[in-house]
Amino acid sequence: MSRALVALALLAAALLPLALESEGYAIHVLTLALLFAALGQAWNIVGGLANQMSLGHAAFFGIGAYAATILQIRFGLSPWLGLVVALALGGLAAALISLPTMRLRGHYFALATLACGEVMRVIANTAAPLTGGPAGISVPFGAEGVWMMRFEGGRPIYWLMLGALVVVTVVFEVIRRGALGYRLRAVRENIAAAEAIGVDTARVKLQAAVISGALTAALGVLYAQFNFFFDPDTVFGVASISVRIALMAIIGGIGTAAGPILGALIVIPLEEFANAALSDRAAGLSQLVYGAVLIAMVLVEPRGLMALRFSWTFRPRRASA
Amino acid sequence: MQQVHAAAGASRRRLLTGTAGLVAAPFVIRSARAAEAVSIGVVMPLSGANAQFGINARNGVQFVADQINAAGGIKALGGAKIELVVADATSSPTNAASVAQRLITQNRVLAMIGAFASSLTIAISEITERRNLPLLTMSFSDEITGRGFKNIFQVVAKASVLGKAQLDLTMQLAQAAGQKLERIAIMYEDTAYGTSQSGGLRAAAKAAGVEVVMDEAYPLGITDVTPLINKLRGANAQAVFPVSYLNDSLQIIRAMRAQQIDIPTIGGAAGYVIPDFARGLGPAAEGVLSISPANYDLAPELTEPFRQRFGYFMVHEALENGVCLSVVAEALEKTGKADREALRDALRGHRFETGLAKAMTGGAVQFDATGLNTLSEPVMVQWRGDQLVTVAPGHLARAQAVWKR
Amino acid sequence: MLSLAQAVLDGVMIGGVYAVISMGLTLVFGVMGIVNFAQAQFLMLGMFVAWFAWRFLGIDPLLGSFLAFGAIFALGWALQATLFRRVLAAPPVAQIFLTVGLIIVLENSALLLFGSEFRSVATPYQTASLRLGELFVNVPYLAAFLLSVVCGGLLWWFLDRSWFGRAMRATAQDPMAARLMGIDAARMHRLAFGLGVGLSAFGGAAILPYLTVYPTVGSQFSVLMFTVVVLGGLGSIAGAVVGGVAVGVIQSVSTLVFPIQLQNLVLFLLFIAVLALRPEGLMGGSR
Repeated sequence: MSRALVALALLAAALLPLALESEGYAIHVLTLALLFAALGQAWNIVGGLANQMSLGHAAFFGIGAYAATILQIRFGLSPWLGLVVALALGGLAAALISLPTMRLRGHYFALATLACGEVMRVIANTAAPLTGGPAGISVPFGAEGVWMMRFEGGRPIYWLMLGALVVVTVVFEVIRRGALGYRLRAVRENIAAAEAIGVDTARVKLQAAVISGALTAALGVLYAQFNFFFDPDTVFGVASISVRIALMAIIGGIGTAAGPILGALIVIPLEEFANAALSDRAAGLSQLVYGAVLIAMVLVEPRGLMALRFSWTFRPRRASA
Repeated sequence: MQQVHAAAGASRRRLLTGTAGLVAAPFVIRSARAAEAVSIGVVMPLSGANAQFGINARNGVQFVADQINAAGGIKALGGAKIELVVADATSSPTNAASVAQRLITQNRVLAMIGAFASSLTIAISEITERRNLPLLTMSFSDEITGRGFKNIFQVVAKASVLGKAQLDLTMQLAQAAGQKLERIAIMYEDTAYGTSQSGGLRAAAKAAGVEVVMDEAYPLGITDVTPLINKLRGANAQAVFPVSYLNDSLQIIRAMRAQQIDIPTIGGAAGYVIPDFARGLGPAAEGVLSISPANYDLAPELTEPFRQRFGYFMVHEALENGVCLSVVAEALEKTGKADREALRDALRGHRFETGLAKAMTGGAVQFDATGLNTLSEPVMVQWRGDQLVTVAPGHLARAQAVWKR
Repeated sequence: MLSLAQAVLDGVMIGGVYAVISMGLTLVFGVMGIVNFAQAQFLMLGMFVAWFAWRFLGIDPLLGSFLAFGAIFALGWALQATLFRRVLAAPPVAQIFLTVGLIIVLENSALLLFGSEFRSVATPYQTASLRLGELFVNVPYLAAFLLSVVCGGLLWWFLDRSWFGRAMRATAQDPMAARLMGIDAARMHRLAFGLGVGLSAFGGAAILPYLTVYPTVGSQFSVLMFTVVVLGGLGSIAGAVVGGVAVGVIQSVSTLVFPIQLQNLVLFLLFIAVLALRPEGLMGGSR
């Protein structure tokens, strides 16, 4: 995509809420889609560039959401400062998780990170004095004000999410085009060869994991300020967060900046549409349709929808393909 | 020929109503608007682990809506029909919040009923509170009406009160049978419902000077309850209080029976008071006690039509969610306009005693300033065959409790 | 001491069942390299088959388990022939997300077809127990354990002695060489997938007497199954047996020391430790 096109799309995205009802459903869904696009993009740094398929990103997401919210409740800390705390804790958690999981690849890495997310979920459920336990935790209700991230209507939080997506996407692109990106690709293609030419593979993977974890934790803070209530099973959930984050990138196409954005803009509205259109019929029908469409998308193009676009543009289609 | 006549008739009628419309325009328009159906949102977990409870709850609301509509709708609104907008909250609070947002914006609902699980209800309440839309619920959690929200209404007693009643009523039953309880066991799943209700139970035990010899949380979806029952066997308790959903409750009772532990078992509602409990356990269910926020046998004339229609007795979540709608209908009759803030004001303070609201303990529903129904009082129920019979407190009991020590 | 003996006994019995339900997961990975996240949903389907067989044909779930195996074997065969065949060469992410989509589809199909009720069977031995001195042996647990042993024996015979089994193992080791030997790899994959999900269905039916079936019951077992196969080594059948019993015993004995609430935490930490230190599993290399 050319720069002009990106700028135009960004401008349109920024102006869009002005055309929508300020507290409406459309803004709510779009905000959610932006959040998941940003999460998918943060995941993409590890999952796409390093090809380490993490299924435990909920660990960072939940740490960010809980840390900022607990600090806000106990000490009245502004969520803006909570973002800083979350970045630090998310990065630290990613470094710690990297210790046992770094050497693993493919399915083994996926399973180990999945277990890490589950460990955090059990801890959050058990540490009730700190986290509120299974009953969950609410962001305090109070007067509006930019400093406490409390806004009138749905537009400001939409813009905040859009800004977050831009930041995460820029970080992703900078890494992808920079030296770290090249090293990550070397690690992905052939780890032995990468080491032979002098790439410190452990260090490279650690850097990617820490950046990805820190950004994911920061997005957890924004989620808390958007949804106002959450519990351990929601923010540390395998299905609700870990798998969904990865899904955005995989449906869209991993390793590309546009992939997670495309994925989130398709998957989140699809899920909402299925629920709106079908959930007053037979129980389970809307989820069934949603699941079937996911399967169809994976089968049509296992490399993600972005690959589909490239194959249309650059490759002559063959009947047998 | 007939067609021509019909067309002529139609155009004449149109002309007449047109003229009448001109003359009586303000009146016609007002009554036409008033007779528009009233949309009420019903957000329940219709898929996922709590689907059965969500479907029961939906049936309860549907049951009441059909009754109101068959009786001519909301009379104060010119016979407006109740139109339910049912949506699946799934099992995620994030989804529940978006669904609530959708019902408000797209479907223009006037009030919402939901969403069985406390975590879903709280997530929805964050939306409804900001939009000033009344939300009625039968979720137990203390948090629901404990946050100073103005638009939430809890028709049942809170979890801590249920937990306390679970112990206190049990003490009364034991005493009536000539036993003084000194040692009890508590086991609960580590969900919002399990932890908050067991908290009330624990506090009540402490206040009553009863020793809690076993106090064990277990993970939701436990696949093997044997370690729990082994602990129970070693604890030498005189009664056991399990608080859980259905799968665990069946496993716990079966494992207790297999190890020949037959001390009185007093469940914490949810899994202990639905037909599947007795269906699954057969004779092993006989005599199991449970606390419940309400029970169908307190108003058989109101709940029996539900059993005839759906084929099972009116479980408490169906009953209480039905009551939510019944209360909304009565409040609408009172205000005479379909306005969410007027509705909220009408809900607060008034004593609702028509329709299904009569089936609640206290025979009515009345909300205090926090939105809690102050008349609701938990009851103790006991399995007799495939029926649940209210056995305590004394003034509500339909039969004498069977207390085996 | 007595409670330790009881805990070990309980753990071994439940561990035998864990072994059988997890064998399918490890078999599918071993032969095709696919980690089937939807494996536990086939256990749920097996429980439903056994429940319907009990309700409408009067077949005890312990016998119904063979019926469940057959029905779900056929389903697995068909799914391999239609869905999974297409992702054999795809990147692991696509494979995993196909199975994640399948979880949603299977759970909600069950909800649509069978409803959300909690269904359980009634059998005469359901609440029976044997006493060995001070020790209790739960009869339904014992029955499920013995059935698992029989099933494990049959599987060992099949894989080790029958031509199909040997052909399947050959395909797992070297698909190209197997093809040169005239083995139809696609057919072996269908067989392996059918067998894999059939085994979980069998195990599900065997535990039906003390559990309840409803559409989302499978998710309770997912984590357990993964722990079992990771402990035993992904792809190793013998490892699944060791892993199953180990998980059963650890789960049971850990509750003597830690709160039951932390039962899963103990398993997860072990899971991560095994992956980090011995990714080939505790049984390492004995595939």
